[in-house]
Parts: sequence; C-alpha cells; structure tokens
Amino acid sequence: MKKNIYQPIEAKILDIIQETPTIKTFVLKPESELSFRTGEFIELTVPGLGEAPFTPSSDPQVTESLALTIMNVGLVTSKLHNMNKGEVVGIRGPYGKGYPLDKFKGKDVLIVGGGVGLAPLRSLLFSLFSDMDNYHKVVLRYGARSPADIVFKNSLHEWSKKKKVDIVTTVDVGDSSWKGSVGLVTTILKDLPVDMKNAVSIVCGPPIMMKFANLKLLDLGFAPEDIYLSMEKSMSCGLGKCGHCRIGKYYVCKDGPVFTYGQLKDIHDIWD
Amino acid sequence: METYFLKNEDIFKFYDRIAEDFQLYVPVRIKSPLKAKCEYQFILPADDYLLKKYSEVNKEEVVFNEYRSVEPAARTFFTYFKEEVCGYFEGEEKKKKDKPAAICGIKNCDLFSLKIQDFVFLQGTGEDSAYKAKRETTLIISGDCPGFKEACFCRAFDINPHASEGFDFNFSPLNNGYLIDVGTERAGKIAQSLKDILTPATFGQISGRSTKRESVIKRLEEHLSYHKIPKKEALQEIVLSGYNSEVWREQMLTCVECGGCVFMCDTCHCFLLTDEPAEEGSRRLRVWDGCLLKNFMKVAGGANPLKMRYMRLRNRYMKKFDYFIDNTGLQACCGCGRCIDVCPGHIDIRYILRRLYEEKYLPTH
Repeated sequence: MKKNIYQPIEAKILDIIQETPTIKTFVLKPESELSFRTGEFIELTVPGLGEAPFTPSSDPQVTESLALTIMNVGLVTSKLHNMNKGEVVGIRGPYGKGYPLDKFKGKDVLIVGGGVGLAPLRSLLFSLFSDMDNYHKVVLRYGARSPADIVFKNSLHEWSKKKKVDIVTTVDVGDSSWKGSVGLVTTILKDLPVDMKNAVSIVCGPPIMMKFANLKLLDLGFAPEDIYLSMEKSMSCGLGKCGHCRIGKYYVCKDGPVFTYGQLKDIHDIWD
Repeated sequence: METYFLKNEDIFKFYDRIAEDFQLYVPVRIKSPLKAKCEYQFILPADDYLLKKYSEVNKEEVVFNEYRSVEPAARTFFTYFKEEVCGYFEGEEKKKKDKPAAICGIKNCDLFSLKIQDFVFLQGTGEDSAYKAKRETTLIISGDCPGFKEACFCRAFDINPHASEGFDFNFSPLNNGYLIDVGTERAGKIAQSLKDILTPATFGQISGRSTKRESVIKRLEEHLSYHKIPKKEALQEIVLSGYNSEVWREQMLTCVECGGCVFMCDTCHCFLLTDEPAEEGSRRLRVWDGCLLKNFMKVAGGANPLKMRYMRLRNRYMKKFDYFIDNTGLQACCGCGRCIDVCPGHIDIRYILRRLYEEKYLPTH
C-alpha cells in the first residue's frame, strides 16, 4: 500500500522533562524508526486537535526515539503540555532541508540562539560534537529572557567544558543569583573567538532576535551565504502544498526551514 | 486525434452512454435578468452556468454552456471544499465505490488551471492520493467557448477559448450539432461504442470550426483591448516592481474579507489540514483555505505577517505571478474572471495588473 502523505504514525510519550516554566521536552518513541537529519522538522499530531511543526532537539544518531522541546504557546502545544507519559501522539516526517553539515566542515561554527530556538540547535550541537575532528571550533552565543527561561541549563554547563567549544549565555533581565551577562544576545556578539575568514554562522530564535542577530553578523563581516537562518512561518501540510509558509519563491517547509541569508536577502518582509 | 460529428438530436444518447459508467455533470443555465453593458458596442450576457448531476436535472434544462461555469471546475471537482484525506494511524485507505465523475462543460481556462493543481497535488514532496484518484478516473468533456462573459480574459495570457489538449472529449458546436475530438484512448473506446451516432468529421466541418474559433478570438481580443491587460511575460516583473505600489491599499478599501476571490479561483489551491475530535471519528480533513482571509499566516505566538488587508491582496498576486512563474513557468491565473464576478467590492484583477504595468512603464511624470 502506498503511504498517505497526510497520515501520521503513532508515537508514545516516553518521558517529559520540564525545562522552564513554559517549555517541556517530550521524548517520543515512534512505532517505527524515524531518522532525521539535524535541522529537518516533523509534524506532530495531538489526536483530535491538530498538528504543528517542530524540529527535534535530540541527537539525530539516536533513531529509536526522538525529543521535541516545545513552548506552551498555542492550541496544540497547550494540549500537549497537559499530556502525560504513556499517552500517544502522532508524527509524520521528517520534512524540509536541515543544516548542511558538509559546508561547516573545517570551519569555525558560530551558533546564535534565542529562547526555545536552542531546541533545534541542540540537535545541531550533538551532530557537531560527535564529529569534532571535522570542525575547527564551535562557538555558541545564547540569549534567554531570564535565568529561569534558559533551556538545557545543565547541558550548557557540560558542553562549555568541552575542547574547542566556547559558550556564553546572556539574559535580558537578570536576578540576584545570575552572575553572567545581561542584555540581548546581540550584545554578546562582540570580541568573538572566531576567524571571520573561515567561519559560518547559524541563527535560530524568535524572528525579532533573528533579524537583529543577522544584521550584527553582516556587520561583523559574515557573507550572506555564510549565515544560516531557521525560518518559521505558519505551516500546515509540511509538504509544499498547502500554501501557508511561502516566502518569495520558496516554501519554508520544502525549501527550508534552513535558508542562507543569501537566499532570502532580496525578498521583502522576511522577518514579519 | 480523431474527430466526429454528433447531431444535436443525438446529444442525450451520448450523455446516456457516459452516464452508464460515470457520475455525469452537465451545464444548466442560471438565468439572470442582467446584461453586462460595456463602454463600447458589446452587450455581453450575464447568465451563469452551473454544472449539475445529469441524473438530477430535467433534460430541458441541459444546455451547451457558451462560456465557463460559475464554479471553478478545476478546483471543485478535484479537491472538494472539505474532504477526508486520512484517518489516524490506519493502514488501509478507504475504497470508494462511487462512479467516477464525468465533467461536461469544463472549459479551456479550467484545463489550464488543472496544470497548476497538478503541480501542487501531484508533484514535489509526494502525491495527494485523494486528488490523484480523482484525476485518474474523472472523464473530462471540455467544450469550446462560442461566447464570453464581460469578465473573461483568457486570451490576455494567450490561453484560447477552446481546448487543444488535456481532455478526453472536446465539444465544438457547429451548425446543427457538435464536432467531438477524442483526446484519449479511454475516450476512443467510448466513441467506438457510439458508432451509430458519431460520423467522422469532414474537412469542411473542421475548417468551419477553425473559422468559428478564430472569430471568437477576434471578438474577445477586441473586448480585451479596452482593458489593456499586460501580457503574461510582464506579470512577474510588474508584481515585483509594484511591491510598494499604492494600488494594493487603494483597491482593498472595498474588500469585505468574504474570501470569494480565493474560493472562486480555479488556480488557488491553499488548504488547511484540520482534525476532527475523537468523538467524531478522528478524521483528518483537507479544507480549502485562502490568503485573503485574516488568519491565513498567523502563527501560534500571535504574529501575523499578513495583518493588513493590502498585504493579503499583494501576497495573492506575489504567489500567482512571482512564486508560480518561478517554480512552474506558468502564471497561476487562467483569465476566467470568476474573482471579478464574485467580488462585492468590485476589485478587478484586470485593473490591478494594468495599474502595476502602467506604474512601471508609463509613469505620469
């Protein structure tokens, strides 16, 4: 039987990890193995309610389960946040074009993340860390609204101890316990330990943060072709058919979600 | 291609034969007391045609439609407004026992639109199986347009008011009957079974048809010359250069956000997958959506890239004349004019395209 493109497969919720007050990581076990490449996304079905697209936050090399790190923000996600271990959701995918790791090889990889945007970037970091001989350096600059909103807190600490890895986290608003940097993520995009002549940058976060991070990176001398952006748009089918996620001549679902700024720079209003 | 002649009085024998194997749809006239008066000598009809089930209409009602039907045939017959596309987690696809459809009265503008629908639902990342099933089984019986509505503008984009490909049968009214082109093997078999009423077309009949077709084109082009619609080669550059044109805001002043333009459009294809609650069977439906509707691009966080009406109008034109030309080489507009007829705000695609063209090439200062 030929597969129906809109039909999800069953996936059981194995584990739920509360990352922040509004963000949870759901570890799912699909009924059949589902492998994805870092940056590709899946459509998650909350049965009887609907679908929403998410990029897995887990290590792509682990194929028997996958993790989605999701903020409680809309209809599907709020229902999902009220679900429990053992319940069943649906997934279909993976879809889209992820991070082109081959183009990062031998280079300094600068990763700029904002808020829950660190979710897809975590799967990218896992991919990079598993093959560090091939990359010159990994530099992560991450911004969250407050210390309580930082996702993967323990992992960030562990990763920063790795060789050839440099991590700085900032928060928009600190608190009494916060000893780190305070300010938007763009404020820590200076004095970077990155060789601009041999570097790529990857940005994922809310649109407003991506817009200003992108401007900053251009200022720093990154070529538009060396800035990789994870775009987000309203999406329904994930297959380049339903028409919702168009930007210029592209569909985010089919031609992205990862684009270089070079691909998008002549298109109007990409950050809206 | 084989061409036959069918006498007027035998038309129902033809329909009856088709109705044996198909759910046949035929054109019926919806009478309108109005005539569209142009600012020049033409007085064009305002009646419309609906494609209805042959089994449910009186024979006296069945007509040959002079121009395209009121419903967007390429879209309505191949993706229903609301259609089940799958259940959850089920292995078997449901097999429908209904007879396949046969659509009589579909026009060349609709056949052009089918190319756009095919691109969306059959190409790229996977095939939409519900669409594909209908596309494979539906019998297409197209017809020449001996007339046109005021809103018709197919020839502006070099689309003819008669079909030369993409059909099973094509009807061309001629004298006291029809010339019938047989476009596919399947249609050929049906024609074989109708030998008693189909006679091979003569050279004189074929050339008579050509003369008729040319005269329709000539009359339509005369009508279109008044509207000064830009050629299809200019469409992409004028929507790109007109991104910041005032025309978008200006035209949207009368928009009531009914979505008529997108739902009556033969080339529009946008949809939303929507899931029914568990108690209603957890079915996944594909429902028509449209970019002129307020929340089309709204995301869960509340951001809406198309928050203003003028942005939505502009988005529609960018999709039709930038995205589609880039990705298929075809503009996603067949010139059927259904969006013009349906719009209570009198927003006219012909005028908008003309304005964009003139702003680029004929600036006033």
